[in-house]
Amino acid sequence: MLRLRGLVPGVALGLLLIDLVGMIVLSAVRPQFLSDYNLFVTGRDLSILLLVALAQMIVLSLGQMNLSIGSIGGLVAIIESGLMVRFGVPVPVALVAGLLLGIACGVVNGLLVYWTKINSFVLTLGTSYVFAGINLGITHATPFYHIPNEVSSFGQARFGPIPFMAAVTIVLTLLLAGFLYQVVLGRQLLAVGGNSVAARLSGLPIRRATLTAHAISGFLAAVAGTMLMAQLGQGQPTIGATWVLPSFAGPIIGGAALSGGSAPVLGTVLAMVLISLIDDGLVLVSADPFWVEFLIGALILGAVVLGRTHLGDVRVFLRISTARPVGSIR
Amino acid sequence: MSAEPNPRTLEVRLEVSGIRKQFPGVVALDNVSFRLRAGEIHALLGENGAGKSTLIKILTGVYQPDEGEIRLDGTPVRFASPRAALAAGISVVHQERNLIPQFTVAENILLERIPTRGVQLVDHAAINRLARPWMDMVGVEAAPATPVAELSVAQMQLVEIAKALSLQAHILLMDEPTAAITPHEVGYLFRILGELRRRNVAIVFVSHKLEEVFELCDRVTVLRDGRNAASDVEMATINRDRLVTYMIGRAEVIAKLPPKPPAGEAVLEVAGLTTKGGDGALSLVLRRGEVLGLYGLVGAGRSNLAKTLVGEIKATGGEVRVRGAVTHIASFREALEKYRFGYVSEDRKEEGLILLHSVRANTSITIWRRLRLLGQWIARSIEDAAILPSLRELDVRSHSLSQSVGTLSGGNQQKVSIAKWLAAKADILIIDEPTVGIDIKTKNALHELIWDLAAKGKSILLISSDMPEVIRLSDRILVMRNHAIVGELPNDHQYDEMSEAIMARLS
Amino acid sequence: MTGGALLRQVALLALLIVTAGFWIYFSVAASGFTSDFNLFSLLRFAAIQITIGFAQMVALSIGDLNLAVGAIGGATGMIAGWAMQVLGLPPLVAVVFALAAGMLLGFGNGLLITWTRINSFIVTLATASLITGAMLIVTHADPFSRLPDSFTSFSETEVASLPVSNLVLVMLAVGVALFFLYRNLSLGREMLAVGANRRAARMSGLSVDRVVLLTHGISGALAATAGLMAISADHTASPSLGSDWLLASFVAPAIGGTLLSGGLVSVPGTILGGVLLATISNGLLLVGIDNFWITVFLGVVLLLAVVLDRVTRAAGGAVP
Repeated sequence: MLRLRGLVPGVALGLLLIDLVGMIVLSAVRPQFLSDYNLFVTGRDLSILLLVALAQMIVLSLGQMNLSIGSIGGLVAIIESGLMVRFGVPVPVALVAGLLLGIACGVVNGLLVYWTKINSFVLTLGTSYVFAGINLGITHATPFYHIPNEVSSFGQARFGPIPFMAAVTIVLTLLLAGFLYQVVLGRQLLAVGGNSVAARLSGLPIRRATLTAHAISGFLAAVAGTMLMAQLGQGQPTIGATWVLPSFAGPIIGGAALSGGSAPVLGTVLAMVLISLIDDGLVLVSADPFWVEFLIGALILGAVVLGRTHLGDVRVFLRISTARPVGSIR
Repeated sequence: MSAEPNPRTLEVRLEVSGIRKQFPGVVALDNVSFRLRAGEIHALLGENGAGKSTLIKILTGVYQPDEGEIRLDGTPVRFASPRAALAAGISVVHQERNLIPQFTVAENILLERIPTRGVQLVDHAAINRLARPWMDMVGVEAAPATPVAELSVAQMQLVEIAKALSLQAHILLMDEPTAAITPHEVGYLFRILGELRRRNVAIVFVSHKLEEVFELCDRVTVLRDGRNAASDVEMATINRDRLVTYMIGRAEVIAKLPPKPPAGEAVLEVAGLTTKGGDGALSLVLRRGEVLGLYGLVGAGRSNLAKTLVGEIKATGGEVRVRGAVTHIASFREALEKYRFGYVSEDRKEEGLILLHSVRANTSITIWRRLRLLGQWIARSIEDAAILPSLRELDVRSHSLSQSVGTLSGGNQQKVSIAKWLAAKADILIIDEPTVGIDIKTKNALHELIWDLAAKGKSILLISSDMPEVIRLSDRILVMRNHAIVGELPNDHQYDEMSEAIMARLS
Repeated sequence: MTGGALLRQVALLALLIVTAGFWIYFSVAASGFTSDFNLFSLLRFAAIQITIGFAQMVALSIGDLNLAVGAIGGATGMIAGWAMQVLGLPPLVAVVFALAAGMLLGFGNGLLITWTRINSFIVTLATASLITGAMLIVTHADPFSRLPDSFTSFSETEVASLPVSNLVLVMLAVGVALFFLYRNLSLGREMLAVGANRRAARMSGLSVDRVVLLTHGISGALAATAGLMAISADHTASPSLGSDWLLASFVAPAIGGTLLSGGLVSVPGTILGGVLLATISNGLLLVGIDNFWITVFLGVVLLLAVVLDRVTRAAGGAVP
């Protein structure tokens, strides 16, 4: 039971239930929900947005933020498609270069945060504009069309209802979970997020943890950007422009605390499943697509308010020492 | 009294001599020496601000001494970082701060050297297996895989001890380990510490509770005002009175204060007050124009009582009357505006002042609402006119009213934090540890100011763990211990008799 | 004058010199920079950016964030457009209507923050998407582009035949109001106290919740002001209005010396910051640098501003 509680926290159980109910209701009301094609499309969106959410979660687990996930994803997609389309660089080379660029962008974020000790919100807001600006400066907001077939066909490839992309996301999610729970550096990263004073006094490698979290964030953003490019069949400069909200929605609804120390991988997965269900449900009932944004906002508020009421163990623990009755966690 | 005679010749493990540490404006430690033997529990005593925590920080590599020498097993050492001290076998046990709340007990114990299989893969089974013996050694009752956040404070402390032991610590610094745990848990902790002494661990025990020191410790070193008041004295050769004298010093510096008018009518009557914080039924009466001293060691529940009076902590029972009327104060704002209470916090930096802001803003913050013209406007001339008398009365020294409070000296900061209540015409002042971290001369000036305020008709509840201060300033003294008022003494300002009488109530 | 205040004056002077330097450089290097037409549009753009910055500065003053500045500005702009175009209300009534709506939305943020005790970041992130989502649902993302002339010409009118738009006057009026708010009004002083040390403010008898609530109300009203200014200048209320305000809202206050952690604001600094921002965007465009690259520049400016601020404060030790 102890083990189970550690692995499946209350938030995740609640989300799982909501997800299941949502799927049942949706398939009852709109049978085409279960059609191969619908599941494929929904699964493909989910595969991309889940990586976006995990890119935020890993930085949140450190008690920091990354507002530049979307612009990293966009920049990477542009560089990759540009290399392939304009310069005829072989696909594997272009993709590897793009992913390395994503990691480099993350490292830049990490170094800035570690060196200056300035609020990661402002720093990554600044870098997000730098990355997005480079993207626009290169493309002048015009896509790179006609990326090589093997890339764009990967975006359409499926096995029955399951998109090939899902395999990438599943593998990366498992690797990330494994890293956080099974690898020493992952544990150290969470320790730094959980209590940075204790981590420093214990001599844990704080710089390495910071850089690693931001590098992983950049890498996941790069993969998400690459997959969206494959799905669209072109290097769209707007890739990633709308990712800020989902990137926070996933981890926050999934139970992450802005103060750090928790990395609810399962919660984030289930939260993103819920968001995809809402997205797909609205399409299926032909509702206004703008409802998605509205409902995600409502969901974040609802989840956090609920979380405050009975999942506050860790927060209570922190409150004891800081004794701060009014105000916000900054 | 000492727990048991120790037949072994105890070898000196750690020897500190001639340590000096200076911070801007204050000498925290001056020529301090300290000697610690293997297999002893050595009490480190002193009032707040005496230099205990500075010494501990030097021993654990957080600070480096300006002068002096540290020898470990005879060899001179320098600890450049906490990590270096840790590596040399010196561990500190804090109350609960040094653990990762989300991690399991076992992971916390082995945090720096998580066992791995293959390349950097965490071996969770090994963590639990390897942590178990250390947990058993100190009696952590939870399973190794329990998240630390679910433990009690006492259990967290045991986890920290287990962690220290697993790091092969042979010197253990216990920083007020009993401050937040129940008597039953204290008993258990002491058994564990006794066991560690048998295993030849050298233990430094910092506490404000003298009973505990006599029960547990073999030797004692006392610091006062950054110097050794006593070093390396065997507990068996010393009695309680003597120890207290070492801690609080002689009353020689005390100059008599001028007479003031007799106290007037009761302005604050508290009867049977209880709080969630565990206060027993507390009762007291504060009269107009008097200083009522509330003496007790740290942790006796004095600040808790004060914060209950101003509405910060909820009372669960009892009655509070202000100027005769029964009241239920719900917030600072109500305390100030309806009942004219002022609360001078012991924590100037976090609760008393806004260091970033000017002297002006810090003093007038309590009266902005009253100064407003046309609903909102605060004219600077009116504002300054309203606060200047209070600042002058307290003799606050600053370049200008626009100087930021953070750049003032500690004494001037304290004066500003009193001045803001005077500006608001508060006439019941609760002053919590007014002179902690303030030098002797300024301390004297502050005492005269407080006395003067009472002579002018303010009613003052003075909370202090500084015995000479309480005896010098109070008209009457309440003695508090374990969240209960254990005595009320009329004060004749005779230090020796009064301190004896107070100590009698404390034991 | 104390070290901290002096340092802040010096920083402001430095900002002034940098801005002036850019003006001199662009006057020489960029043909047309000093033309009346260009100055007019530059200053008008600056006025809007500065007002956006004010909306954020107010939230920052109490140590909060308002990620919904753009959402509120966009939604209230649409409300004003709808009120004028569909309801046919006179512009003045529509303006009051939109300002009230902005303040109400801000109060909504404040209420959620004080009730739930949730971090303002999360609350305003969520309300931003609630507000934008609701606006898009209601309007079906259709712009209102037939705004009354009397409303759109307001931003075109020159003041005293100088190349200065009325909008600059609006911005200056708001700036003066904010300057006195923080200097002389009880509420403003309370806001700064809450921002610098929430606990000490409460323990000095201030009602922190009331201050938080009012602050977000003001921030909302300022966002609405910026929204109104923008639709007047654009001649249209577009549903995408406000979606790109986030950076601007932080850049102007951050360059101007407003502390991101609260308790210290600078109205003149924010104005200068906004002018610098607008000057760079405008001038670089004129010297032939691609519009798209200017985004990079602004990101770098924000990074430089916060890093320099950190460095000077560390050196001066002004803020303990």
